[in-house]
Amino acid sequence: MGAQIRWMWRRAKRNPLTIAGLSAVTAMILLSLLAPWVAPYPKDVSAVHPSERFQAPSRAHWFGTDELGRDILSRVIFGTRISLRVGSLVVALALAIGLPLGIVAGTFGGVLDEVLMRITDVFLSFPPLLLAMAISAILGATLVNVMIAIAIAWWPWYARLVRAEAVSIRERAYVEAARAAGASWRRIMWRHILPNSLAPVIVQASMDFGSVILTSASLSFLGLGAQSPTPEWGLMINIGRTFFLTHWWIVTFPGLAILIAVLAFNLTGDGLREILDPKAAPR
Amino acid sequence: MIAYIVRRLLIGLLSLVGASIVAFTLTRIVPSDPAAMWMGPRATPEQIERTQIELGLDQPIPVQYWRYVSGLARGDWGISIVTKRPVLRDLATYLPASIELILFGLLIGFAVGIPLGVFSSAKSGSLLDHGSRLVSIAGVALPSFWLAMLLQLTLAKWANLFPLTGRIDLLMEITNPVRRITGFLLLDALFTGNLSALRDALWHIVLPAVTLAMYPLGLATRMVRTTMLEVLSEDYVRTARASGIRELKVLRKYALRNAIGPVLTIAALTFGYSLVSTFLIESLFTWPGLGRYAAKAIVSVDYPAIMGVTMLVAVTYIGLNLIVDLVQALLDPRVRLS
Amino acid sequence: MSTRARCTAVLVLLCIGLLATAFGGGAADLKVAVHLQGAEIVPYWDPSDGASGEIALMNNLYETLLRYDPDTNEFIPVLATGYQQSEDAKTWTFTIRRGVAFHTGNVMNAHAVKASIDRTIERDRGSAYIWAPVESIEVIDDYTVRFHLSQPAPLDLIAAAGYCAYVFDPEFSDHDWFIAGNDSGTGPYTVESSEGSEKVIIKRFDDYWGGWAGSHFDRVVFLTVPEASTRRLMLETGQADFCESLPPTDIEAMRGNPRIRIEVNPSFQNLMVLYNNQRAPLDNALVRRALSYLVPYEDIVEVALGGYGRVARGVIPHGLWGHSDRVETFTYNPTVARALLTQAGYPNGGFKFLLTYPAGYEDIRKTVELWKAACAELNIELDARAMPTAERNAIARSPDPARRQDIYLLYWWPDYANPDSFLSGMFYTQVRPAYNLGYYSNRDFDGLVDFATTLPSGTPEAIDMMVELQNILQRDAAGIALWDMEYLRAMSSLLGGYRDNAAYPNVVFWYDCYRE
Repeated sequence: MGAQIRWMWRRAKRNPLTIAGLSAVTAMILLSLLAPWVAPYPKDVSAVHPSERFQAPSRAHWFGTDELGRDILSRVIFGTRISLRVGSLVVALALAIGLPLGIVAGTFGGVLDEVLMRITDVFLSFPPLLLAMAISAILGATLVNVMIAIAIAWWPWYARLVRAEAVSIRERAYVEAARAAGASWRRIMWRHILPNSLAPVIVQASMDFGSVILTSASLSFLGLGAQSPTPEWGLMINIGRTFFLTHWWIVTFPGLAILIAVLAFNLTGDGLREILDPKAAPR
Repeated sequence: MIAYIVRRLLIGLLSLVGASIVAFTLTRIVPSDPAAMWMGPRATPEQIERTQIELGLDQPIPVQYWRYVSGLARGDWGISIVTKRPVLRDLATYLPASIELILFGLLIGFAVGIPLGVFSSAKSGSLLDHGSRLVSIAGVALPSFWLAMLLQLTLAKWANLFPLTGRIDLLMEITNPVRRITGFLLLDALFTGNLSALRDALWHIVLPAVTLAMYPLGLATRMVRTTMLEVLSEDYVRTARASGIRELKVLRKYALRNAIGPVLTIAALTFGYSLVSTFLIESLFTWPGLGRYAAKAIVSVDYPAIMGVTMLVAVTYIGLNLIVDLVQALLDPRVRLS
Repeated sequence: MSTRARCTAVLVLLCIGLLATAFGGGAADLKVAVHLQGAEIVPYWDPSDGASGEIALMNNLYETLLRYDPDTNEFIPVLATGYQQSEDAKTWTFTIRRGVAFHTGNVMNAHAVKASIDRTIERDRGSAYIWAPVESIEVIDDYTVRFHLSQPAPLDLIAAAGYCAYVFDPEFSDHDWFIAGNDSGTGPYTVESSEGSEKVIIKRFDDYWGGWAGSHFDRVVFLTVPEASTRRLMLETGQADFCESLPPTDIEAMRGNPRIRIEVNPSFQNLMVLYNNQRAPLDNALVRRALSYLVPYEDIVEVALGGYGRVARGVIPHGLWGHSDRVETFTYNPTVARALLTQAGYPNGGFKFLLTYPAGYEDIRKTVELWKAACAELNIELDARAMPTAERNAIARSPDPARRQDIYLLYWWPDYANPDSFLSGMFYTQVRPAYNLGYYSNRDFDGLVDFATTLPSGTPEAIDMMVELQNILQRDAAGIALWDMEYLRAMSSLLGGYRDNAAYPNVVFWYDCYRE
């Protein structure tokens, strides 16, 4: 076991981008844990200082202040917590639903496949907005409920992707050989199909992290999900976009935060895939 | 093959029905007052009550659903509560603009993304590879409206290279309007020989399409690279290389075919998704597309419009998925249609 | 030639052809104006149904009998050349202008006037209730119309309303025909083309009774541009002539730009707060008053409105008759608030109130956040939720009182320049609440409001009554007005002839405008 980890670490070290991604992710996790101590103005999560509004980035406020005088740097740091939570919860939930359904559908085929795929079709035709609205109306308009709603709108993507992979793996030579040797479909699913289908899903999931944050951003502007004054990055961007031409920093820094966060998770996910999948290694 | 298609279509119908039931139920569950919306901001309770009966909202939900569905079959998709016009008419107004935009976006995204992914996989580990990975991730991570505003500010306002908003120049619309045949501005301009309008419309579509293209670009680059890397290490590819066939030919003939599968899946999913989720881009570029219409409908709980859009998107998904599965089976002999 | 070569050749030819067109075809000598709005242009195509955003477009296509100017308190004759009212204000006789043609070609006369208004009353949509006092309309002769009212009412103001008072061709008044984007008005412009509700192009109506002497626009394009930044960019690059409203930050930034003229105009619109008068602890007037002393009024106007607006004084806004300095008002005073709370038995606060406000309005959001922060200091939590209108109103009008909110915020403006709208619309007892979403019920107040409608508008007696009514609301703190809005208009500095009229919010009478 120790040897395996050392082997994985050695391979990771060869890829500088992966290291960069991992470091950024670690930094973000640390920031979100230590937010109250790292942020220069921790009260600015909710306190307002109207007399200090619209200040450009300066030494007192590295990222400037927003339309109500709140320090943007502090809010971005606190926003790390929220975004990490939103992104990981939604993706995890969506995977938890979509992965098993897709694998099962792709492996076993037949009627099961058809039924499951039709169900994904039904969910895919829904504008995520409608789902989010409906669920938040039924359960209450909180961030958690909107996350559930987005996850419910998201899982069909994974199901379809995994199924497509599973279908093509099913036809591979080594699977046929395993069948000939008497292995049951369940065994094949666990040993061959599942591990080999993960690659595109990991890629997709790591990219979805950012999309989820952006989706929750557009929802929060319509009154769903995060409510003002929560320092959610997406909400900050959407509120700041009115001032983009006059006070560029209100939109830019949360936007950069999203960019960096997504970059970090993507690079990490990519590196992970390369480590796990020998064929994808750099030559 | 035919039997497969017919079966898929029939099953597709089932999905449609499922989607319609769920959508209808959802719109009725969300607290709203369609009759009040219909009558407008200063309606009295009596007016609202009257409208409720007129619109059939006092009936139990299954009855309402049945009335809606039987209307669908007759071609009556209901009247939008927000626009007061037949939903079908609204869809016909806004759909062509959306399709044009998405197709162009996908075109640009894939035209850049696929070659980037291919060469990135061929030169895996190089600077090009790392660079393209960064670019593709950035493409997905950029908030779309941020990019849109940036493009508007830099390329439209400062550099004056592209127009700011809209599908076509307002002045041109008055002095040299394009006769509407299909509703697709570019096609109509081409068919009626209105080349100046065609040029203007192409100029207008560039910025919004580029903004839209970022997401499929990023996705395509990654997907192609991933799948290509897998395929390139397969035995038959190594054999082809060993037997002296040129690298480019190897890439194109053997490997690309296998990458098309997931790319097509992405294209189909992105298309259906973009039909409705591009409302921020449409908002900024004043693009008269379905996204804005759908967002307004959802926020106002305009249930006939919501149902109409949902049905449209559902049909699109089912159709596109069918096509994608067929094409995948055609190109990849290993995949058999079950 | 190989296929590839042929394809390339075609592409090259097409590109050359397209590029060539870049240098051809100039615009004809048409004068075109572009009018930008943030919301959709035509929520209602039917002239009898209107109640909101279509006012800007409709007032260029259709005309009313009279037009009201709040600055001079005078009526301008439009389709009526004159009118008389009886002593008891229950009979009004209008003389109809001759020589007016509809866009359809028919002639406008008294019969058309009667038919239009009858139709509007019968359809009973939107703001049609303004005609409620009318019992019958009588055609005396081809150019004389008489209105018989069941009770005295300012019919001249009603006939000059911005909504639901248009005269259209009764022969062309099929609802579906209107919905398809047609109009049958008498106005200077008529619809040329439309794309959904977001783009409407109108062209000059050559047979307009006012004539076309002088400089006028031939076409006006109404365009919905939802993003404020895009509207601003269009204005700055000369692609638009008039922009209905922009955020204060953009207005400030454009101040120095010689190509753009900024106008700050008074309006009859304000932001209202309605407390849930029926639910504890807000059913206690002391608690409501305490909350009202916690609103940082000055800060809000400064920060949320960027200084463009005024702290309200009473529920009737500045500029509308009935507004007066004799109306008592709240100020920001946490000490008094605390004292009131203690008096009510809640020395340490400890409440959580559900507050709903319209989503998508920056100024309201900032207002709420400032109030929320101020309340937090006294241990009162405002659970503020931005919601789309449909959802908000479903909750507010829910038959189950437990589902309703504690505090409801909304913009209010009158359908026609009459202060009664503010009083009866939001505070008159409504068993099934329409906009009395504070569920206030005070029979004495209702009685006085009824009495007030019998008084002729603008007279000292009527003004006194308005003051008293506002003060009743003030003492009860049934609901309060936070600020009176000012309209921020941005337009091309070359645009001449534009005069803002608060009685017709957001309307540009394009006939009067020209480009210098």
